[in-house]
Amino acid sequence: MGFLRDKRNSSSSSTTTSPCADLRAAYHNCFNRWYSEKFLKGHWDKEECVSEWEKYKDCLSKHLEDKNLSRFLEAEGVKRIPASISK
Amino acid sequence: MVFFPVNLLFRFLILSLVVSSRLSISRTRSKQATTKMVKAYSQEHTYKHPWERVTSASWRKFADPENKRTLSHILEVDTLNHKLDSESGKLYTTRAITIHAPGPWFLRKIVGQDICHCVESTVVDAQTRSMQLATKNISLQKYVEVEEKIRYDPHPDNPDGWTICRQETSIRIKPLSTLASMAEKIEQKCVEKFQQNSAKGREVMERMCKYLEAESSSRGISV
Repeated sequence: MGFLRDKRNSSSSSTTTSPCADLRAAYHNCFNRWYSEKFLKGHWDKEECVSEWEKYKDCLSKHLEDKNLSRFLEAEGVKRIPASISK
Repeated sequence: MVFFPVNLLFRFLILSLVVSSRLSISRTRSKQATTKMVKAYSQEHTYKHPWERVTSASWRKFADPENKRTLSHILEVDTLNHKLDSESGKLYTTRAITIHAPGPWFLRKIVGQDICHCVESTVVDAQTRSMQLATKNISLQKYVEVEEKIRYDPHPDNPDGWTICRQETSIRIKPLSTLASMAEKIEQKCVEKFQQNSAKGREVMERMCKYLEAESSSRGISV
């Protein structure tokens, strides 16, 4: 079923954001460090990783051609707050 | 455990399509499937790690190379948006998860793709120590909608040492002709798949927690 695999590659390449992989890794590394070492310890007054985020976001907006995803990049993406599971 | 719904999703799609084509050939049933089928499942798991470590693990589980092998169907995880409420200590994040979910050739023909996009929204409240995630598929919605909600809270019996994870999953099958009569069989398959995948997800989380534990003891960082 080799032809399926080929098709898969061609179809997924249209939505891939892998050109941003390095910027993504830089941002996620920074975020993970900030989350564990600052945010969880009560230092949430200041946002960090801002320049990493800006670079990554610029790259993403160029490569997220998929309409379903790019609409989430617009400012209100975080409106969707998960409805809570009762404790 | 974001990776689970999509395996499930495709299992559903495959079964749905097989079932609906069979039924439409035999025409034994008519249009009773105008309502959506909704199924919901819930699970609980206790991690014997503090809440801080478990939630750190949750952020990292897709990025770790070791986990990538287990979760090989995850193609990409991108952060689409994030917002920090610096007054209340709440962090809101939206991520896109792209998953490769191969099905048989005829499914590909019908659906036209074998990747699926999901969006995951997370709220972490550092003050009350809670993390809530909600994940749903945003593609293939005309066939099925899977929504998964997870929340991590300090365990009431040991709030500083353990974490309780509650997970709820709902599955809405869109009526593809006359699906309703077969729903029970499909549901059974789904439950089996769901349970297998949940176990896999917990495995990854446990491994990540152990890794963070080892890392924190060597670097003196308490997460």
